[in-house]
Amino acid sequence: MSQALDDRSESIRMIRDSAGAVAPRGGDTKRVRALRFTNPGFDKGVFAQMGELGWIGLAVSEDAGGAGLGMSEAVALAEEIGAGLAPEPLIPAMLSARLLAAAEDKALLAPLLEGGKVVLTAWQEKADTLAVPGTSDAPRVFVPMAAGADAFLLPVREGNRIALLALDAAGADVALEKTMDGGNVGTLRADLSRAARVADDIGAVVEQALDEAALATAGHMLGLMEKAFEMTLAYLRTRQQFGRIIGTFQSLQHRAADLKVHIALTRAAVESAAAALDAGATGAVRQAAVSKAKHRAAESGLLVLRQCIQLHGGIGYTDEYDVGMYLRRGMVIANQYGSATLHRRRFMALAPEDVE
Amino acid sequence: MVNIAPRETQDLNLMEDEAFRAHVRQWIEANYPADLRNPPKRLHWDENKPWYFKLAEKGWLCPGWPRQFGGLGLAPAKQIIFTEEIERYGCARTNDHGIVMVGPLLINHGTPAQQEYFLPKILSGEHIWCQGYSEPNAGSDLAALRTEAVLDGDHYIVNGQKIWTTLATDANWCFLLVRTDKNAKKQEGISFLLVDMATPGITVKPIINLEYHDEFCEVFFDNVRVPAKNLVGTPNRGWDMAKALLSFERIYLGSPRLSAYAFTRLRQLAERMGVWDDAAFQETYGKLRLDLEDLKSLYGTFVEKLRRGETLGPDVSMLKIFQTELFQRITDTMLEIAGENAGLLEPMEGNRNLNPTGLYIQARPATIYGGSNEIQRNILSKNVLGLPG
Ligand SMILES: Cc1cc2nc3c(=O)[nH]c(=O)nc-3n(C[C@H](O)[C@H](O)[C@H](O)COP(=O)(O)OP(=O)(O)OC[C@H]3O[C@@H](n4cnc5c(N)ncnc54)[C@H](O)[C@@H]3O)c2cc1C
Repeated sequence: MSQALDDRSESIRMIRDSAGAVAPRGGDTKRVRALRFTNPGFDKGVFAQMGELGWIGLAVSEDAGGAGLGMSEAVALAEEIGAGLAPEPLIPAMLSARLLAAAEDKALLAPLLEGGKVVLTAWQEKADTLAVPGTSDAPRVFVPMAAGADAFLLPVREGNRIALLALDAAGADVALEKTMDGGNVGTLRADLSRAARVADDIGAVVEQALDEAALATAGHMLGLMEKAFEMTLAYLRTRQQFGRIIGTFQSLQHRAADLKVHIALTRAAVESAAAALDAGATGAVRQAAVSKAKHRAAESGLLVLRQCIQLHGGIGYTDEYDVGMYLRRGMVIANQYGSATLHRRRFMALAPEDVE
Repeated sequence: MVNIAPRETQDLNLMEDEAFRAHVRQWIEANYPADLRNPPKRLHWDENKPWYFKLAEKGWLCPGWPRQFGGLGLAPAKQIIFTEEIERYGCARTNDHGIVMVGPLLINHGTPAQQEYFLPKILSGEHIWCQGYSEPNAGSDLAALRTEAVLDGDHYIVNGQKIWTTLATDANWCFLLVRTDKNAKKQEGISFLLVDMATPGITVKPIINLEYHDEFCEVFFDNVRVPAKNLVGTPNRGWDMAKALLSFERIYLGSPRLSAYAFTRLRQLAERMGVWDDAAFQETYGKLRLDLEDLKSLYGTFVEKLRRGETLGPDVSMLKIFQTELFQRITDTMLEIAGENAGLLEPMEGNRNLNPTGLYIQARPATIYGGSNEIQRNILSKNVLGLPG
């Protein structure tokens, strides 16, 4: 194995270890439960901690104040965050950091990277899209955890360019909706006359930043799948019916084996896409790799999470037992940054015969 | 409670199907409480009783019961039409355990005194029932139940715990499976008891489910005295009756209503999301539609058997499997096309017809309750196919 790859696995291991501080695997879900349906739905102190740990700027270059790591580390981190069900909007914050770094902004980037300011990008104008039309007067929809935003970034089209504007969240018109997992999404109707200009053109980076967010979200889903499956295996090993451990029933063994296949497929798709991006993939090659991963995560993710409920029987359908929280989070993220259908179509449109 | 006197006296079976459909539709539209259409969650008794009473007054509460017991004695094809119209309009499910389970139980196994006492009270809404079968350690293996009833003079003393009891907080009566002989083989020491929920010693604790709704409960029994005359059928033969009743439950759970309901909402969602005209969506939609059509046909053959007075065999499990999994596939498709709405807690845009997440969550336990689909497949492979093991 090359020296570069050795370094990589070491940095991934360190990232995973550091995640334990905020989103302990196998830790209890008391913190997560207590935050559900509160305002803003997450803990700003923990968000700040994520900043201190260097997570928000994980993929931002060291020159710009980030950690200078890549997507392999980012998906590993997202996976840990998923396994621990942390509600903090880390992936949306990483997206904002990416845009601000590309814009060579100083004012907002530093407080965002430190976790002192929650900066969320309001790029989306309709459901299930990766397109950024930048329509100046269009409401921006589905901004994750908008209740906790300190500032919003808005891509706005100006001729052939996409300018980046920043808007203070105080006084902004944001309509909130609750999400299944106890969080929220917001619709922002921005008054652009109040907005400050951050950059004249981020057109070159915004697509890539959204691809990275889609890939990180696939990593988040992988974490949900792994953890819910681990809980399910533990249940199959202990629950008794008909005087037997239910994990001895062959139909359930086969089901578990099938779910393992789906998890392995998802991990392979996610990690290979991350490696491709880290190796500098651009354009169609990058898009195809990301779409492959996000498609798999959305499809296999929900399948695995649903089956984890099924294998638990009645207790899986309660709020009190943790496994259901994984399904609810999965519902929230499955279609974020593109549904399975969107990514399947994008993959096919890229003439996959021609990409590696 | 209602006066059930002005009942439907006309034999609706004599109407042409389409005339019958129009008749039902017209009545529903004129009588269904508008604010109860398409409830996003299962309604509690307080909320659904206006509809229960409307049906009761009209004599349409129990379409499947024979006419001499206050039912409509409706033929299978007509029952399917009736159900389709109820679902099409988005009518709420009522607290229907009395209608679906206790009625058939007493009609088949009750004493005349039990029939005379209990059936009219179901028809009038005076008694609302819950089903006390499952226990923490007796779910799929129901026959392992341990809640015991010990005879003491003319009463049984009941001790133990039930769980997952749907809408027990609404119910004033419970039909309970209890162990009356601890020494017999596990299936041979079980009896059916009808218990007044107001009896001292009963505690009901709601459990919050995955929809954040207090739909099912734990029920604790601490030295609860139940009159011995409330035992149904023969002591220690409760298991056989329960099994027969489960086939009623399975045909009910196999009825196309949930899938049909979700299916009409799938179309509405597809139109709202702008994918209705998409060729790939139409392909998926067509597959689901044909599955639903065939489910209706298969369901019809089982209802027809009941109609002829035959008892249903273990093959009724096919219906339960296919219906519940179709319901899930329809809601899976909803989630797939809903974009980020797939994560919302409430129906979209305040429109109860656009509730992909609610239906998706509600479809999950359908493959768990009423005998999980794994258990149904065990039944099919052993008792229908005769495979060894
Ligand atoms: C929404 C809801 C409402 C309910 N309402 C009521 C009610 O009103 N009254 C009532 O009495 N009960 C009710 N139930 C309980 C329901 O009947 C049980 O949940 C069901 O029988 C399964 O039992 P369990 O939950 O203990 O799961 P378990 O039996 O522990 O099953 C766990 C898993 O193991 C599988 N399994 C078990 N045995 C086998 C086997 N031999 N082969 C293969 N797989 C197997 C199951 O299919 C399941 O996937 C309700 C349940 C739900 C979810």
